[in-house]
Amino acid sequence: MRDILETLARWKASGTKVATATVVSTERSAPRDPGAMLAVSESGDVAGSVTGGCVEPAVFEEAREVLAGGGARLRTYGIADEEAFEVGLPCGGTVHIFVDELDPATIDPLAKAIEEERPVARVVPVSGPNAGAERLVFADDKVSDEIGRTAQELLAAGETSLVQVGDDEVFVDSFAPRPNMYVFGAVDHAAAVAEIGRFLGYRVTVCDARAKFVTPERFPEADELVVEWPDRFLERSPVDERTAICVLTHDHKFDIPALKAALATNAGYIGAMGSRRTTEQRVELLRAEGVSDDELTRIHAPIGLRIGARTPHEVAVSVAAQLIEVLRAPKESRAQAVTS
Amino acid sequence: MNVLVEAGRLAAEGRPFALATVVGVERPASARRGDHAIVTPEGALHGWVGGACTESTVVREGLLALADGEARVVRVEGGCASEGTIELLVEPRLPAPLLAVVGDSPAARTLMELARTLGWRVAGELQEKADAVVIASMGQGDEEALQAALAGGAGYVGLVASSKRGAAVLAELRARGLDEEALARIRCPAGLDLGPSSQEEIAVAILAELVAWRHTRPSSPEQLVEPAVAIDPVCGMTVTIADAAETAVHEGVTYYFCGPGCRSRFEQDAERYLEAAR
Repeated sequence: MRDILETLARWKASGTKVATATVVSTERSAPRDPGAMLAVSESGDVAGSVTGGCVEPAVFEEAREVLAGGGARLRTYGIADEEAFEVGLPCGGTVHIFVDELDPATIDPLAKAIEEERPVARVVPVSGPNAGAERLVFADDKVSDEIGRTAQELLAAGETSLVQVGDDEVFVDSFAPRPNMYVFGAVDHAAAVAEIGRFLGYRVTVCDARAKFVTPERFPEADELVVEWPDRFLERSPVDERTAICVLTHDHKFDIPALKAALATNAGYIGAMGSRRTTEQRVELLRAEGVSDDELTRIHAPIGLRIGARTPHEVAVSVAAQLIEVLRAPKESRAQAVTS
Repeated sequence: MNVLVEAGRLAAEGRPFALATVVGVERPASARRGDHAIVTPEGALHGWVGGACTESTVVREGLLALADGEARVVRVEGGCASEGTIELLVEPRLPAPLLAVVGDSPAARTLMELARTLGWRVAGELQEKADAVVIASMGQGDEEALQAALAGGAGYVGLVASSKRGAAVLAELRARGLDEEALARIRCPAGLDLGPSSQEEIAVAILAELVAWRHTRPSSPEQLVEPAVAIDPVCGMTVTIADAAETAVHEGVTYYFCGPGCRSRFEQDAERYLEAAR
C-alpha cells in the first residue's frame, strides 16, 4: 500500500470514490507479499498491483462491482500448477485478496504517521458483520479490545498478517518504522554497508569515536552520523529484534566494549569484521571479560557469508545476504506463533 | 599523451590492459619513481618506464598479469649496461564483469541498481559478451531468453522463479531438446537460498551468488586475456604466438622465439636466459 499512498491521497483530494484490492494472505509462493494493493478509482484509473499482472483483470472487475455498491468481498485466486505454466505465471501459489471501498478518512493520518516514522497498523476485518470497517491502531494507543491488542502485537514485530480474532478474520497491515542498522567504525567498508543497508530499508547510523572520519562526504548514504564510543551510543539507543549491529572497526579497543554492549541487547543481528586471527583473539578477550560461549554464538564473525568477497562493496553484499538469512528465519516462526 | 588519460579511456571502453608503475629506482636509471606505462593485450607499450632497457620485461609481465589476473612487483636489474635497477608494480586492469538482466520486473530493476553499486557493467537486455545473465522476465518468454543465454558464452545463467515454476521451465526446455549439460548450467532459482521474499532481498541473494561465482572460478576474475604475443627470452623481441614457427617447451612452459638462432641458443642453456629475463 505504501507504494501507492501518494496516488490515494491525490484521489482522495479530488473526491473520487476508490475501491482497493489487498493481498491479505498467500499460500506457497506468490509474486507479492500481503499488503500489496491495487486501487481503482471511479473513473477506472488503476494504481498498484496485487500479483505480477496475472489476476489483475479479474480483480479490476471485482473492484468495479464494489464501486457500483456490490459490497466488500474476499476472493481467492488459486493457481493450479499446470494452469500457472500456461498463463505464464512466475509461481504456482494461491492469493487471497480482499476488495472493498477505501475509507478516505484513514489516508491522511496513515501518510502522516509513515512520514513521521510513527508505528501504525491499518486494521481491516475481512469477514463477519464488520467486514471492511477499517481503522488505524497506533503502538501507543490505549486499546481495550482484542483486535486492537492483536494489532499492536503484530505491529511490535513489524508483521503484516491475516489473523483470526474471535469468529472473524482480520487483516493487520503493519507500517513499522524502518529497522535500525548501527554501523560501528567509520571505515570504507562502513560506507558500502551503509549504502546496501539503506537499500534494504534500514535506517542507518554510522558511529565512530574518531571525529575526523565521521563525515557526510564519506557516508552520504547514512541517515545519521554519530561521534561517540559505540558502547556508550548503544546504551542510549533503541534496539529491538529487527536491529542489525555491524562492528567494522577491527580494533579491539573499540570492538570489545561495542560487542559487550551489543550482547546486552536483543538485537536480531550482530556481526563483527576481522580476519580469522583477529576473530580468535577477540573471542579470547571477550571470554576473559566474562562473555559466555552461548553469547558468543550470537556474534557472526568474521562478518558476512563466505562468498569470497574482496572489495568493500562485495563485503557489503555478503553482510546483506547474512542479514537476510539471519533475520528472516526467526521472523517467519514468529508470524506462525501469532497466527496459531 | 598522458598515460593515465589513456588508461582511463581504455577502462571506459571496457578494454583490458596492464598498468606498470615505477615504484623504486636505484640510480643510474632513466625512469623516475611514479612513471607509468600501459601494456595492451597485443603487446604494445605506451609510456616511459625505462625505455628499451626495460621494455621486454615490462611487456612480458604485463601480458602475464593479464593472463592470470594477479598484480606483481618486478625488479629489472641492469636492463642496459648504463642502467641501475628499477622496480615496477604491474597490475592487470580487466574490465568489470558485464551482467545482462532480461525482463522488466521489479526484481530485474532492483538487481541492476545493486549490481551498479558493485562497479559491474550492467545491460538491460541479453548481450552476446555478457559474463552473467539473469532472466527475470517473470514468465514472459523465460524459455526463449534462457535458450538465447545458453547459446552465448555467459558463465552464469540464472532464472528468477519459484522452484516449482523453475522446474516447469526446465521441463519445457528439455522437451524442446536441450541436453542435460546445458540444463545443468541454469541456476534455478537464481541466487543463494536465504529464504528471501522482497525484491530487494532477491536482488541481494542473486548478487551474493554472482560474487561467489566470480571468485570461485579457477582463475580469479572475468575476462582474463590469453596473450596474443610473447617475448623471446633470448633477444627480447615480441613474437606473435599464433604465427610463431620456433617454440620450445622447458619445464612444462612453452617459449616462443623470433627464429631458429634464438631457439637453439635457448635450448643449449635455458636457465641462463630465463635467469637473465627475470
